[in-house]
Amino acid sequence: MKATKLFVASIVFSMSATAFAAGAHDGGHGHSSASGEPGKASEASRTITVEMYDNYYEPESINVKPGETVRFVVENKGNLVHEFNIGTPGMHEAHQAEMMMMVEHGVIQGGKLHHDMMNMDMGNGHSMKHDDPNSVLLEPGQSQEVVWKFSDKGNIEFACNVPGHYQAGMYGDVNFE
Amino acid sequence: MNIRLGAVLFGLLMPALGLAAEYDLTVDRVQIDSGDFVKEGIGYNGASPGPVMRFKEGEEVKINVTNNLDETTSIHWHGLILPFDQDGVPGISFPGIKPGETFTYEFPIQQAGTFWFHSHSGFQEPDGAYGAIVIEPEGREPFRYDREYVVQLTDKHPHSGDRIMRNLKMMPDYYNREQQTVGEFFSDASKDGLMNTIQSRMAWGDMRMMQADVEDLQGFTGLINGKGPEQNWTGLFEPGERIRLRFINSSAMTYFDIRIPGLDMTVVQADGNNVQPVSVDEFRIGVAESYDVIVRPKDEQAYTIFAESMGRSGYARATLAPEQGMEAAVPQLREPARLTMADMGGMPGMDHGSMAGMDHASMEGMDHSNMEGMDHSNMKGMDHSGMKGMDHGSMAMNQGAASDPFYAKGSGLMPKAANGGKFLSYSDLKAQDPLYEEREPTREIELRLTGNMERYTWSINGVKYEDADPIRLKYGERVRFKFVNETMMTHPMHLHGMWSILDVGAGQWNPIKHTVSVNPGTTVYVETEVDAPGQWAFHCHLSYHAAAGMFRKVIIEGGPDSNQAKAEVVTEEGGEA
Amino acid sequence: MSYRLPLTLSCLLSVALLPVAVHAQDMIVDTTERKQPLTTWGIQFEEFEYRYSDDDEELAAWNADFFYGTDDFKVRWLTKGEYAIEEQAYEELENQLVGQIPISKFFDAKAGVRFDTPEGLDRTYAVLGVAGLAPQWFEIDANLYVSNEGDTSAALDAEYELLLTNYWIVAATLDATVAFSEDREIGVGKGLVSTETGIRLSYDLIDRAFSPYVGVVHERKYGDTADLAETGGGSTEDWFAVIGARIAF
Repeated sequence: MKATKLFVASIVFSMSATAFAAGAHDGGHGHSSASGEPGKASEASRTITVEMYDNYYEPESINVKPGETVRFVVENKGNLVHEFNIGTPGMHEAHQAEMMMMVEHGVIQGGKLHHDMMNMDMGNGHSMKHDDPNSVLLEPGQSQEVVWKFSDKGNIEFACNVPGHYQAGMYGDVNFE
Repeated sequence: MNIRLGAVLFGLLMPALGLAAEYDLTVDRVQIDSGDFVKEGIGYNGASPGPVMRFKEGEEVKINVTNNLDETTSIHWHGLILPFDQDGVPGISFPGIKPGETFTYEFPIQQAGTFWFHSHSGFQEPDGAYGAIVIEPEGREPFRYDREYVVQLTDKHPHSGDRIMRNLKMMPDYYNREQQTVGEFFSDASKDGLMNTIQSRMAWGDMRMMQADVEDLQGFTGLINGKGPEQNWTGLFEPGERIRLRFINSSAMTYFDIRIPGLDMTVVQADGNNVQPVSVDEFRIGVAESYDVIVRPKDEQAYTIFAESMGRSGYARATLAPEQGMEAAVPQLREPARLTMADMGGMPGMDHGSMAGMDHASMEGMDHSNMEGMDHSNMKGMDHSGMKGMDHGSMAMNQGAASDPFYAKGSGLMPKAANGGKFLSYSDLKAQDPLYEEREPTREIELRLTGNMERYTWSINGVKYEDADPIRLKYGERVRFKFVNETMMTHPMHLHGMWSILDVGAGQWNPIKHTVSVNPGTTVYVETEVDAPGQWAFHCHLSYHAAAGMFRKVIIEGGPDSNQAKAEVVTEEGGEA
Repeated sequence: MSYRLPLTLSCLLSVALLPVAVHAQDMIVDTTERKQPLTTWGIQFEEFEYRYSDDDEELAAWNADFFYGTDDFKVRWLTKGEYAIEEQAYEELENQLVGQIPISKFFDAKAGVRFDTPEGLDRTYAVLGVAGLAPQWFEIDANLYVSNEGDTSAALDAEYELLLTNYWIVAATLDATVAFSEDREIGVGKGLVSTETGIRLSYDLIDRAFSPYVGVVHERKYGDTADLAETGGGSTEDWFAVIGARIAF
């Protein structure tokens, strides 16, 4: 018996354009100088395509030069929602707690993102918006870009912080040349 | 293990077949040393547990099983999808393997993951006839690990299976050494008040049920990969490595609560099928189930794998360590589990009025079907604007400790993580990549799990296997089984040959399992795509429950080539007439 | 999951080559042990003891049963006796052979014969009884007897176990006999005949197979039976200190 592809990319992902602008910290997603900063597409030295599967990346490691700006084209080729997030292991760990909340509140369900819920007021002025420049959260079939200017050094990984995914091994190493 | 790759031969004859492999297994009388006692038992290739059979998805395997016992034997490949005549259940799949005989199993490996094999004859499995199966997938795994270990548990008992069965029939509480005592009466009285305690004892006494009736078989030594707690099986690692632990519960009777103090475990597979990864502090493994978890010990220290029996009468223990000889603290056993009136909720015709101290409200929602409101997909149409300022704490449905919909509300068996963290629930299990399309079941079959502890009789719908007609399913249909547990014990129900799609309320993401645990006082639904012709066993995997009658034969009517078979029969009959 | 592997030629071929055909004749009938009623047996000595009375009488006493059968039908041999050590005589020797069938969730019915062959006159009885577990954990065994002399009597045995710990167990027993007619030859008067009350403290030394105990037993005869005993020079009331073991295998 064959299962069908359960999800098709029918839902338009409407992540705000502010994704590429620094500043929106509603979810508390931090990005520090340890990992770098949002880059300008015009300064990107090259494009790296990162494919997201269930639950791993291809490639699982990339090499960058210190200070290099890279344009990532991130494609979700799996059946589940995945994230591409550039940060230190500590940043990922902090972010995982936030993502856990998104799952518990039904914002992320298997292969679906419920955007309307992301704007829900969580109290204290927080919402579950996922709009930081160092990451994208994609439904199956979606593709999006992240332009990132890497810092000079640091222990940096790109990771999927959907609960369980990082622990199962969905992360990749950023190696500095 | 003697592996003879017949690939060369097959490659010449049938290039399209690809891999083929041949294996030899002997069934032998062996010595089993648990560290606490040494006994004679049954094993494979001279040892119990037997070897880890490593297959590759897509290969054709040929397994020559030679019976060196003086009794009939068999091997059932637990969880493998294969032709029914290779399933290894004497009387249902094949006649069994007679003493001195060699039987050759031949089947294609069409899946990957962690499974196990065991004898399906008499009490050979509790006597030691079991081993692990590891199947490497054709493609990559949906998770990463640097090394892997099989962690196969059993409840090794000094008595033989035959003797245990006889003792249980003679005195059902023969092995129960966690019964309520005079001392417990007084400690309960000082805690809950004298009258409450008397009322509670009277209520249970009126039913002639024991709150302590959690584990029929105590007095075992928990083994991991054949090693007792003192023998301390040890798996090595280098700090920072990701380790895949393939937990398999090959116990006759014992559920284990497993934790590794100091490590998060990410469950990535249940019953050999990939699940969406979920990180837990502790999980309960039912008899015959398997769970694969990934752990990542970062420090240069030893970690104890602690598997405490559900009733807390015993444990198994092993160690993960950077080098041999290192060990970590072994936790104490927690207090023995006590059933509550909620666990009795499934009993029919009970005079609920007489149940002193019972909280009727707590029994609502025990029927799992009521929980379907939890299916998050139903929340799509919700007016989220109205949700502002809601109490988010109450929405944390999946957060462990509070309650698990797969236990009766207020159940004494409700698991809690020792460190107060996350305890895996069936409702956390979601298929990683659903095997079947979701569709409406064609019909529902109710299976009441029934029994009488005082007589040690176990049955389905009140009928023991010896008196039962087979369950007849039609090839191609999707059947919904409704398990209603009317006993006070937990039953791991195992359907051979076809997957049990466990209804956890996740729709198309419902996980597929080969063994589904049904807790006392609960109703659990599973659906099965009837896609395997032939006849199959369907039973409670507690050895002594199955032997006492909680067992059925399932016949699949129709299916590939069976029309032809019927036609042949008709022709034959026609010929006679 | 791996079933979703693309259906390659190799798969198609392997399926085609495998003997998946399900012929009716391949569907064997289960004639294994599993499909037969489970037959089981057991031997239990509820009492196996030495008794020392307040009259310095010494007795060996036992109360045992052996069963064999299935859930639906068991054959049970019950034997009990008291042997006076000095007199070298059986004060009591009783054997019952009964068939037993379940009649309710917790109770069985029994029917059979009982042979009493102590020192003195023998009696044979027809037995009809029920045995099982009553609410609040009382083990009950109630029997109606009709002797070959036509006399009827009834006996009730009850036992209750109190767990001091899971190994130290106090067992209280009460056996009472009532006669509906007099059988003077064997010293039985009409009415309440006798009671035997015991309390035993045991320790499970080897599983439940061997549990040594000490205890006190009180035997008393009543009414006409007591009068008959007095006339015959016997005692009507005895206290015993007992030491023995519960045995099951």
